[in-house]
Amino acid sequence: MNVPVAVVGAAHVKSERRTVEAENRMVLRAVRAAMQAAGVTKDDVGFTCSGSGDYLAGGTFAFVANLEAVGAWPPIAESHVEMDGAWALYEAWTLLQEGEVDVALVYGSGKSSPGDIATVYPLMLDPYFLTPLGLDPVSLAALQARALLESGRATERDFAEVVARNRANAIGNPNAQVSGKFDVDELLRADYVRDPLRRHDLPPISDGACAVVLATADKAAQLAERPAWITGIAHRIDVHQPGFRDLTVSPSTTAAAEAAGIGDGPVEVAELMAPFSFQELILRDAIGLDDSVDINPSGGALAANPIMATGLIRIAEAANQVTHHGKARTLAHVTGGLDLQQNLVTILGSERP
Amino acid sequence: MAGTVESTIKFPYKRSLGPVLGAFMTALTEQRIMGIRSGGRVIVPPLEWDPDTGVELAHDFVDVGPAGTVESWTWVAKPTAQHPLDHPFAFALVKLDGADTALMHAVDAGSIDAMSTGMRVAPRWKAERKGHITDLDAFVPGETPETHEGGGAEEPVTMMDYDATITYRIPTTANQLRSDQASEQGRFLGLKCPICNRTYTGGRGYCPIDAIELGEEHEVDLPQKGVITNYTIITPTPYPGQTATEPFSRVHVWLDGTDVVLGYQTLLDVPNDDVHIGMRVEAVWASEGEKVDKDPRMEGNLIGFLPTGEPDNTDPDLVNRLH
Amino acid sequence: MAHQPCAIVGVGQTHHKTRRWDVSLGGLVREAAQRALDDAEMTWKDIDAVVIGKAPDLFEGVMKPELYLSDALGAAGKPVFRVHTAGSVGGTTGIVAAHHVESGRHKRVLAVAYQKQSEGNAQFALGSGRGFSIGAGGAFAPFMRSYMYRTGAPAEIGPMVAVKDRKNALKNPYAHLKIEDISLEKVMASPMMWDPVRFLESCPSSDGACAVVFTDKEGGEAAAKAGRQPAWILGSAVRSEPSQFPGRDPVAPQGAADCAADVYQQAGITNPLEQIDCAELYVPFSWYEPMWLEGHHIAEFGEGWKMVERGDTEIGGRFPVNMSGGVLSSNPIGASGLLRFSEAALQVRGMAGEHQVEGANVAIAQAYGASAQYFSMWVVANSLDPFGK
Repeated sequence: MNVPVAVVGAAHVKSERRTVEAENRMVLRAVRAAMQAAGVTKDDVGFTCSGSGDYLAGGTFAFVANLEAVGAWPPIAESHVEMDGAWALYEAWTLLQEGEVDVALVYGSGKSSPGDIATVYPLMLDPYFLTPLGLDPVSLAALQARALLESGRATERDFAEVVARNRANAIGNPNAQVSGKFDVDELLRADYVRDPLRRHDLPPISDGACAVVLATADKAAQLAERPAWITGIAHRIDVHQPGFRDLTVSPSTTAAAEAAGIGDGPVEVAELMAPFSFQELILRDAIGLDDSVDINPSGGALAANPIMATGLIRIAEAANQVTHHGKARTLAHVTGGLDLQQNLVTILGSERP
Repeated sequence: MAGTVESTIKFPYKRSLGPVLGAFMTALTEQRIMGIRSGGRVIVPPLEWDPDTGVELAHDFVDVGPAGTVESWTWVAKPTAQHPLDHPFAFALVKLDGADTALMHAVDAGSIDAMSTGMRVAPRWKAERKGHITDLDAFVPGETPETHEGGGAEEPVTMMDYDATITYRIPTTANQLRSDQASEQGRFLGLKCPICNRTYTGGRGYCPIDAIELGEEHEVDLPQKGVITNYTIITPTPYPGQTATEPFSRVHVWLDGTDVVLGYQTLLDVPNDDVHIGMRVEAVWASEGEKVDKDPRMEGNLIGFLPTGEPDNTDPDLVNRLH
Repeated sequence: MAHQPCAIVGVGQTHHKTRRWDVSLGGLVREAAQRALDDAEMTWKDIDAVVIGKAPDLFEGVMKPELYLSDALGAAGKPVFRVHTAGSVGGTTGIVAAHHVESGRHKRVLAVAYQKQSEGNAQFALGSGRGFSIGAGGAFAPFMRSYMYRTGAPAEIGPMVAVKDRKNALKNPYAHLKIEDISLEKVMASPMMWDPVRFLESCPSSDGACAVVFTDKEGGEAAAKAGRQPAWILGSAVRSEPSQFPGRDPVAPQGAADCAADVYQQAGITNPLEQIDCAELYVPFSWYEPMWLEGHHIAEFGEGWKMVERGDTEIGGRFPVNMSGGVLSSNPIGASGLLRFSEAALQVRGMAGEHQVEGANVAIAQAYGASAQYFSMWVVANSLDPFGK
């Protein structure tokens, strides 16, 4: 029997292309705002977990500086993953299941602006066969996009429609970096940057941070008027080599969604982390979302992509739909790696499980 | 107006290949592409394990190709220094004849118009081959590989080099800028937390105890003089980028009348044997026009500390004053 | 679901060396993982989740290597996790993996921690690629100097620890350093590296990996029944504190004290010196042995070095420490914490071979990281209730 865990507060630091502010200052602001929203102080927090990446910042211990921002004195029970903050949330959720801690703080942060994405990201690949080719993330995504087009299950127009919808949705999102009303035909007239991808199919390069406060059972009910209860959460990974799998499907997303309880009922809203537009189509199919589902009301990763926080933001947004927009059942998906290799799905609801 | 500190991390990594990757790389020098049997498939590139199960694979190698079929591709119109070719090319997943999986590589097709999914390609080999995925210069359209006479490795290839170069442009934060400006004027700028009264230096714009931001309104000027509370003498070890050649000292300096201890500071003009706790020192700043090797971790224009010549502070407990 | 019992039923590690140039990255981690699976009498498919831990990626120049290594560890289609808490990461990795079981979420979890630092250079990585890197030794040297002063410990204490750990390493087939003629004289004659710490008082730089298989109560009991004694986790804890602020004591950090207090309380330990049979503590530089004995309440302030001097921390002594040879004998940084945790488990399982402490029932392990600010600890025993609560 799972201990019920809910999101009781969350906050973002608005994503920007290039911030001067230090990453840990952004963390400090996000954490403070999330704790205020949840109505907790650091004395209430029994466990803290964060996600960030050394290589983004160019330092060996970037996460140590982030710890400095959360008031870790007296010493705290705390851990860190070299993954998106969404996995830090998973670690916190797992610990909360043991019933000894009732409030956890989770944060994710990243500044993509200091390094050159094209130079840093190839390092995330097989070091013998892929990194030495300098395989940059846009090229890899383009290969995946072409495979999807060739499969006949999507068209370039479909890609552009994803972009138009996400950017229009982002208009109402105060944390969005990119937003606006775009005409699909005009989008399709833009040049390719990496055939078949156009600039608008790519995520923005962002600096940002997000913090989420989790609480269990009665504590959650006490803290929040309308907690967003995590009814299921799971993650899976696929084989690494892009040439070894069908890039047009995402079995790990399907498996994660099943394990998270997608079969238990329809979701009204899904926040899908699709850094490249066409990936949203792959993910919809993988999870089995039909047209009745409102996808990425926040604008998704196309609106803001602060790597290591983008995924946690999906969860915060899906929770926000329950807490502030009256939804009963929402879903958040998070991806790790470059071509949808690793995927996490969580389902949130308004009813305490 | 913020500045930026540019910092390049450069390192020559050396990777050992193990038996399977080593065999693959050796085969590349012989202008052969090798896969390995895994379950009912031939996987290329070869792995030591079955990717679906993790089970160790027998070294049942299979030559594949030489030609293959493009399964997916994209055009790189403006290659950068990290890419395998210096003129426009395609990245492609190529399923070589006899393989059940696709190999990632470049196709030198000449123009995007020559690229299509399903096209046939063959390897063009480099004249000099060392056992590296780029021994395969690129694939070219057609069935016929472009090979050279001889050139296979004399010994099995066991290692691979990877030269990493990443440049980061780190913006100077507002607090760091104020600290640097003070440093250019030969001043230590502290930021004092209004809640716990601790003082922080080096542009650290927050109090880690109270988790609040610190800014201009919290600035305090710190004294130039202090006392050495602790030290170490480092014997340098060689590594790429190392510039130290002789043992050097690093001292902890407690600035007079404050709670600020600057750790691991440079001590000037003191032979290592004479470094001791209790020595009175003062800050030395670079004069205008003097070049300071700007290690971003050091206080801006501070060169180090110099003994003042004042009598030592003889309090034996100084050694515990690390922070 | 309340905290479920968790058993360690498989431990594996590589032969740690300066350069494991006979293996690829995948080969290194698989060597350890396969040994752990063999020990647990399991195969890859029996594992439900994989937790990978290692220290900075800059050491090998591969970012987020868990993406590449996931299928090397049979994890395709499974959950994979990547922990990074600096030097304590090996310990934290074990703790996170254990929580996967203790939460009731997974039944069999494989934890793997590694470092292949010969591909890069540790000093380079720790110094972020610049000259005049002070390394970990340089960073900790002032702390050790402070300890020596505040306790009045004689100068030989550090060297005595160095000798003990290297002698122990001779009994550990996996240990990196095998210095047959190690002696106090040899240590004290070795070059000064980070005054006051000498070369032979410092850890090596090693390539290595460690793997542990965790399972639940049912799995642990089944192993026990089959004659394969598990190690039960009686308690685990982590603590972190900021690296620097006026008034911080990095020599006897609050985090070290709090972490130990938490883990002893969970395990029902009120008198660590008496109730714990042996310990594997993260000692990368000799003086850290007495420092952690005191820092974790095993010895009173100023008494830690006396334990060393008396020989209490030898394998046959009153409170054996680092029977495996410890970090001083093998230091693949990302793995070292999990090695400590594993060796403690091996002790209570009676599987530590030549470096076994006779009759060890309860053991502790600890790892620390960064500026002595991250701590992870656990208590393991060969029964769930060794103190008859």
